[in-house]
Amino acid sequence: MSKRKGEIDAASNPSPTAYRLPPSRAGALARAWAICAKDAAQELRRRVAAASIFFFAATAVTLVSFAVGPFGLPTEARDRVSSALLWIILFFCAATGLPRAFVREEETGTALALRKVAPSSLTLAGKTLFNYVLFLAITAVTVPAFAVLLEWRLESPGALATVLVLGGYGLSVVSTFLAALVARASQKNVLFVVISFPLLLPLLLSAISATIEAAGGALPATALRVIVAYDGAATCAAYLLASAAWED
Amino acid sequence: MKFLKWLLLPYMAAVIVGAFLWPAPAQGFIGESSRIVFFHVPCAWTGALAFLVAAGYSVAYLARRRPEHDDVAAAAVRLGLLFAVLALVTGSLFAKIMWGSYWNWDPRESSFLLLIFLYAAYLFLRAAVEDPERRARMSAAYALFAAVLMPFLFFVAPRVTASLHPQTVINPQGKILMDAPTKAVFFGALIGFTALFFWMLSLESRAARFDRAAVSRLSER
Amino acid sequence: MFRDSVLATILEARELTKAFAGPPLFSGLSFRAESGLLAVEGRNGSGKTTLLKILAALMRPSSGSVSVRRGDEELSGDTRRLAVGWAGPDLAFYEDFTAVENLRFLSRAGGRPGADGQLARRLEDVGLAEALDRRVGAFSTGMKQRLKIVFSLLFDPPVLLLDEPMIGLDPDGRAIVERVVAEKRREGLVVLASNDPRDFLEPDQEIVLGRASRR
Repeated sequence: MSKRKGEIDAASNPSPTAYRLPPSRAGALARAWAICAKDAAQELRRRVAAASIFFFAATAVTLVSFAVGPFGLPTEARDRVSSALLWIILFFCAATGLPRAFVREEETGTALALRKVAPSSLTLAGKTLFNYVLFLAITAVTVPAFAVLLEWRLESPGALATVLVLGGYGLSVVSTFLAALVARASQKNVLFVVISFPLLLPLLLSAISATIEAAGGALPATALRVIVAYDGAATCAAYLLASAAWED
Repeated sequence: MKFLKWLLLPYMAAVIVGAFLWPAPAQGFIGESSRIVFFHVPCAWTGALAFLVAAGYSVAYLARRRPEHDDVAAAAVRLGLLFAVLALVTGSLFAKIMWGSYWNWDPRESSFLLLIFLYAAYLFLRAAVEDPERRARMSAAYALFAAVLMPFLFFVAPRVTASLHPQTVINPQGKILMDAPTKAVFFGALIGFTALFFWMLSLESRAARFDRAAVSRLSER
Repeated sequence: MFRDSVLATILEARELTKAFAGPPLFSGLSFRAESGLLAVEGRNGSGKTTLLKILAALMRPSSGSVSVRRGDEELSGDTRRLAVGWAGPDLAFYEDFTAVENLRFLSRAGGRPGADGQLARRLEDVGLAEALDRRVGAFSTGMKQRLKIVFSLLFDPPVLLLDEPMIGLDPDGRAIVERVVAEKRREGLVVLASNDPRDFLEPDQEIVLGRASRR
């Protein structure tokens, strides 16, 4: 083992040499980013999560548009029904693809190495970021397709994008946290839906009503405020409870 | 303290009899249906209280890692589920009498339905984990995560529809709009149900503790 | 800084108990180890792997505590995490990535990213020079075991926990592990768990797990 500068040579001092932790050269953000980047690299090589979400979304959107599209929705109900359907699809997309971030680590056995080197909160942060980007990517493809197939006129795409960005964040944070829980349990898929539903419902309701308003052209300030508050609360709670959720 | 639980039986009997015989039916309600307040509200209150108890013991578990705390938290959730279901059922019966249908998308109704889903989810999570320590830790994490998001549960849902719910006991003026006999039975019932909850909680937790001890003693052979 | 050099890193366990839904694997286990080689012996299923995971802070004990101290200061958080190296049978790497990529990621996640040259040198030290750019999924058991040894040494920890380090290794691999253990026990503490007594070369301390139990 190479000697570090400044240490007394073991030969001249019979006591064991001191331990000086190698200086930290990467802050918390960089470490979380490393975890996020690793997940992204894995995803790019295999594309399992993205593929499964994509196929699910495609199936759901197609089904909905076949069932509803040809008959058209009555104008007064169009915004409400379309918004609700959209967020239902997005919820199930999240349930399909986001838990993989933690489940895969447990299934392949790499969770131990990760837990050995990084605190759970950083791991959770990195994976949340990855899941969020993945979710936004899916949204960017699904929402336009949905709008086109349902002939849904969106007066203010900017307002809708804001709702999706803010609402999607809350969805990602909660989903990733719960993914850490289900990764170490049985019946993961069913369990995930059951435990995420009660927690996500307030977010989904707010997001739906915000989407309705946005589709009508207005920026839904009140609903967005609720969503942002939810996002903040969920982020703090997830960060604080990360180790309880994922460690042994 | 022990004699208090013996007292509970005659006390609750008195409350139930009193609920039907003492106060007169309230104004603005159909027939005797206002009497539901003596059962429905305490059940709802205990159903919600159970969550606070579970959350508190979850914090205690994560801090000290004592299995007894996990026993209590889980027992609280099981009982909370029971009382919340009772609250929902009594509420539905009342809704049928007053407004003709069992379910009306009243925000408070919906919030309780969601609370029931939450309790069920907690119990489902527990059932999906074998190792007791891991199960305890994960349940505690879930309960606390839910506790943080709870306010949104109860305050977002009401934004959706106007409330059919009768005016709450404590109204905006801060006065209690009940006559003396009604007040007496109501608060009596509230205390009684709360006592009942804590008594059942101690029974459930003790049963869980014996279960745990029995399992480890059996395997030691 | 002179004072620093006489501080040893001490691993101490107090009343450790661990149970998984049944009777405890071990209970009331206490010991204190400062430097040299601590051998953990016991048959399969006696709790060696569990004990080492608890010492590595990968698992919590049912009761009791473990502390890693340097002088008066008890290490915690990141410092403790990186001051204790660990490798065991349950450890696995990302099969889609090469050995270098795995180490690069793990050292970055640990907050101490090493230059690729350094990482390559560590791999060469255990005889994985030809496999630097091969996916870990294509590694043999012996190669994966050598990679595990590199992982345990990644942050140059003063305390090294090795759980069954000789599994799947050919004589060259065994020699590498023996060299690592010999070097590390001079400078710090090595805790080695195995059910093959031949793996222990003159341990300074011993713990025997199982029914006959503790030291």
